[in-house]
Amino acid sequence: MIDNGLLVQMLIGALLGLSVYLPLAAGQLSLATPAFYAVGGTLAALLSTRWSALGATADGGFPVPSLLLEMALGGLLAGLLALLVGRLVLRLQGIYLAIATIALVEIVRVAILNLPFTGGAVGIFAIPQPFATAAGYLLPALALLAVAGWLCQRLERMPLGRAMAAIRDDELAARCMGIDTTRVKLSAFVLSAVLAGSTGALAAHFLNTWNARQGSFDASITTLAFVILGGSRTWLGPVVGGLLLTALPELLRPVGDVRLVLFGLVILLGPVLAPQGLITPALLERLGGWGLRSATDRKTEEAQP
Amino acid sequence: MSQPLLEVRELSRRFGGLLAVDRVSFAVQPGEIFGLIGPNGAGKTTLFNLISGVTPPSSGAVLWRGEPITGQPPHRLNRLGLARTFQNLRLFEGLSVLENVLVALQRRPRSSAAGGLLNSAGHRRAERQRLQAAWQLLEELGLTALAERQAGTLAYGDRRRLEMARALATGPSLLLLDEPAAGLNPAEKDQLCQLIGGLRQRHQLTVIIIEHHVPLLMRLCDRMAVLDFGVRIALGTPEEVRRDPQVIEAYLGTGGHAS
Repeated sequence: MIDNGLLVQMLIGALLGLSVYLPLAAGQLSLATPAFYAVGGTLAALLSTRWSALGATADGGFPVPSLLLEMALGGLLAGLLALLVGRLVLRLQGIYLAIATIALVEIVRVAILNLPFTGGAVGIFAIPQPFATAAGYLLPALALLAVAGWLCQRLERMPLGRAMAAIRDDELAARCMGIDTTRVKLSAFVLSAVLAGSTGALAAHFLNTWNARQGSFDASITTLAFVILGGSRTWLGPVVGGLLLTALPELLRPVGDVRLVLFGLVILLGPVLAPQGLITPALLERLGGWGLRSATDRKTEEAQP
Repeated sequence: MSQPLLEVRELSRRFGGLLAVDRVSFAVQPGEIFGLIGPNGAGKTTLFNLISGVTPPSSGAVLWRGEPITGQPPHRLNRLGLARTFQNLRLFEGLSVLENVLVALQRRPRSSAAGGLLNSAGHRRAERQRLQAAWQLLEELGLTALAERQAGTLAYGDRRRLEMARALATGPSLLLLDEPAAGLNPAEKDQLCQLIGGLRQRHQLTVIIIEHHVPLLMRLCDRMAVLDFGVRIALGTPEEVRRDPQVIEAYLGTGGHAS
């Protein structure tokens, strides 16, 4: 039922969930993730099909180091875009920020649709393949997820991550405690964009074709659902949410068209039955916290006089 | 007289048709405990918001050690050494008590983001120092036993003390306390009085305190100012203020019995 292709898609879902989670961990409801995903994917699609120096072969092969380079460049470009856009949109709060970031997704989508070199509505085809089978993509996707998870885990033990949590709880109080909230929010937004951009670059190769529809308003809502269902209080929440909600429509395929109704029900009932999401800090605590407990808990025991 | 730590000059703030703070001036000397009293709606909290950069003033100036700081954002002012608490309590409710204090210890000492990601020796040392400082503050404010509790679950008096611990964690020279005794019982008010005196000693603090409870202020403050409808109607030692006929009229009510 779950083949390697679906597994890769699930990992991409988890990565995009984390990308939505990062700004949210600083209290910022940004729906811009699909825009950065589209930017990274488009860059990778263009580079690998147009720039022969990257080493695409005639039979559609592609060197793995070039893929990694593209992922880095995709993250970089998305990060730069976030740096520019973030300065403007992060002045907005709550639902207004959400609306502004949806606008960004639309602008990027329409731009990719109409730019002379992105292939219009058809998009870019025959993106060369670094791996012969879908299984090959598992490793880079897992590696990227590991890096992202490690980043989120480290953040909890760092001033930046604590500042993000403080802003989520009370932005004004955080400012009065000496936190440069503009900078912290921008950092979270840029990290989120870098992650989405790298994921996009990987996804472009995996999907073999890329077009403007990859980054749409629908994707904004889907990726937000990852976080809402999985839970936004710990980074494992969006990972689980992304994995589950990406797999679900495929797993439900045997029941036919009803599957979309069931999928909708899950998204609807999730927040009703588990308002904090499936994965909460309390749940992790109960699971015995195999190294997932926040570092302060453990370190305090050492430092306590 | 030495250079004042904080000076407020002709400070005004207008909200639409309401002049919430009307050309208020006073200066606070280093080491002083300075009281601000006045009836509800007199503009005390607005004045705190103006001083701490939360609200920009309509006119007038705020000076820090003689330098103008008017209009600077709150985090900049905090880094200069100005910390505050909030009348309506603004803790980071989802974080633990210890984490609330750690957030405020961000820059003491500073450590780089790269070091933090790689968990470098420098970062670990900085974290140890922050933890040590945090535990010390919790101890000082009697919150050690509650360190792991989520701030949102604390009792009222504990929240008030955590707000003070968090403000102190930023390493201020001036602490603005907005009604720290509100909602406390008489015994707790006594303890608070001693606590504030002790904190001033140990942290070389200057304190500006807003309080409704007049006896507490009379006991605690070196000098005080009285606000009424945004105007400073009196300034002086508690004894002077207590005898001021305008104060008796406006705040204590005609007849002149302090509560």
